[in-house]
Amino acid sequence: MSGLRRDTRYLLATTAPGVFFIVVFLVLPSAYLVAMAFLSNGPYGLPTAPLTLDAFRELAGFGFLGWSPGNLYTLIRSVWQSLLATAIVIVIAYPAAYYISRQPVRWRAVMLLAVVVPSWTNQVIRSVGWMNIFAPDTVVSDLAVRVGLTEPQMGLFPSQFAVIVGLVYNFLPFMVLPLYAAFERLDTEQVEAARDLFASPVAVFRHAVFPQTLPGLMAGTVLVAIPAFGMYVVTELLGGGKATMIGNLVARQFVQASNWPLGAAGAIIMIVVTLIGLKVLRDLGRRVGGDREVLL
Amino acid sequence: MTGRSLALALRGFWYLLLVFLYAPLAVVVFYSFNAINSSARFAGFSLTWYEQLFSNDAIIGALLNTVALALTSSLIAIVIGGMLGYGFYRYRLRRLSWLIWLIYLPMVMPDIIFGIAEMIFFIAIDERLGILGPGLGTMIIAHVTFQVPFVALLVNARLLALDPQLFEASQDLYASPWQRARFFLLPVLSPAIVSSFLLALTLSIDDFVISFFTAGPESTTLPIYIWSAIKKGVTPEVNAIATLMIGSVFFMALISLVVQRRPSASSTTNRSASS
Repeated sequence: MSGLRRDTRYLLATTAPGVFFIVVFLVLPSAYLVAMAFLSNGPYGLPTAPLTLDAFRELAGFGFLGWSPGNLYTLIRSVWQSLLATAIVIVIAYPAAYYISRQPVRWRAVMLLAVVVPSWTNQVIRSVGWMNIFAPDTVVSDLAVRVGLTEPQMGLFPSQFAVIVGLVYNFLPFMVLPLYAAFERLDTEQVEAARDLFASPVAVFRHAVFPQTLPGLMAGTVLVAIPAFGMYVVTELLGGGKATMIGNLVARQFVQASNWPLGAAGAIIMIVVTLIGLKVLRDLGRRVGGDREVLL
Repeated sequence: MTGRSLALALRGFWYLLLVFLYAPLAVVVFYSFNAINSSARFAGFSLTWYEQLFSNDAIIGALLNTVALALTSSLIAIVIGGMLGYGFYRYRLRRLSWLIWLIYLPMVMPDIIFGIAEMIFFIAIDERLGILGPGLGTMIIAHVTFQVPFVALLVNARLLALDPQLFEASQDLYASPWQRARFFLLPVLSPAIVSSFLLALTLSIDDFVISFFTAGPESTTLPIYIWSAIKKGVTPEVNAIATLMIGSVFFMALISLVVQRRPSASSTTNRSASS
């Protein structure tokens, strides 16, 4: 090591443990998971040679009984539910972030903390909270029965509705924080100028406010839609069969069904869809933002 | 709409949002004191569930596992992550910026894939080498892996906010690397280290999925205990356990508020150094 400059040696020493951890305990396992998708499913659910594409064929719905669209529906439902949840989160977070940014400085940190603290509790506990609220005969369930949303004694979960509420609840802070950051930096002179030119409130919003908050909005969308797509806990606890998402499909192959190659193939599809989602969001941001780089 | 009524509407909206954010937690806390096992009817105040909880060895074990996992992984993560954040700061000028992608990987990887990948990896290693069998050890490794990037980024951000001349000054004074760490870096980074330790703790306590897939039969944590109780349909003490965990999170939130509010000595040095 004497060939290396002393400085370089210290720098290597500082970064090596962290890099080691991420490479050995994340990059390697992920590579192993990817490789597993191309193995055959052995007699006891253990993956064996030879290499095949059977797992992908099975994932696409081709089985002993011909083609079934179940897995495809699950994939589409995952995308749809995460997009719906993201849309609702935006509608809630936008006014909230604006409101917080208009408060006296000393209050803002407390208000942001108030938004963030529930997300520090465990995912499972947050879902237990909603299970308590949506259980049969609670105030909320009774109200839903009276409005005709659900049958008496049924409660509001498991259901797709409960899953969407759970997703919105889980990811709301991830939208509020970047939007707040955008509102806090808002150049009010642009807004004043638009007002002085007698722009309507809608026009002021569209031309002076919205473009400035777009980077925050896009960052928030990535932080909400991507993890919502991979959700496991909320769908497992609050959703029934009609709300299953791809994360549950993948996990089931490892936990109950013991078809590891199929699960690994599902994981690859998840990663691919996630990357496509990132690309689409990036392009969308660029188009809406007028060729300005608004994301990443 | 006039500006005044808009402001009023926004205020109302904010209070509704607070109800939405805290109702699920409040309901859990409220019904944990219920005399009967129901979240529909409150039959009087009682500590039954807490008595059951503290006389249940499985729950006490899970509590100890949760605390041990959170503390051990966070301590390891602030050391490794802190060094990584520092290393990245010093490497900035060299052509190693691609390494930053390695830091982002654990942050963008879906939990479920992260957990499953580690599970099958640990099982394979265990089969061949007889080490890293599922248990508290594998959970600590998994937690450190997802905590390290957050710590590294926080520490790195703090370093980037410092005046680079401070580093030169410490070198001009012929400080050894050890002295530099002890008398310059550690004091200057202490706010970042404290906040990244708190962040690592919350990340660990908040995690369920990765723990679930890397846990062994003897290393059940509280969230895993709650999960299997729900799956088995036995839920009497679930609200009480959840209340304890919510309480600990609020305690940490309070600490972080106090830490943020306290004008720290090192941030003043930073300011006077850059002016």
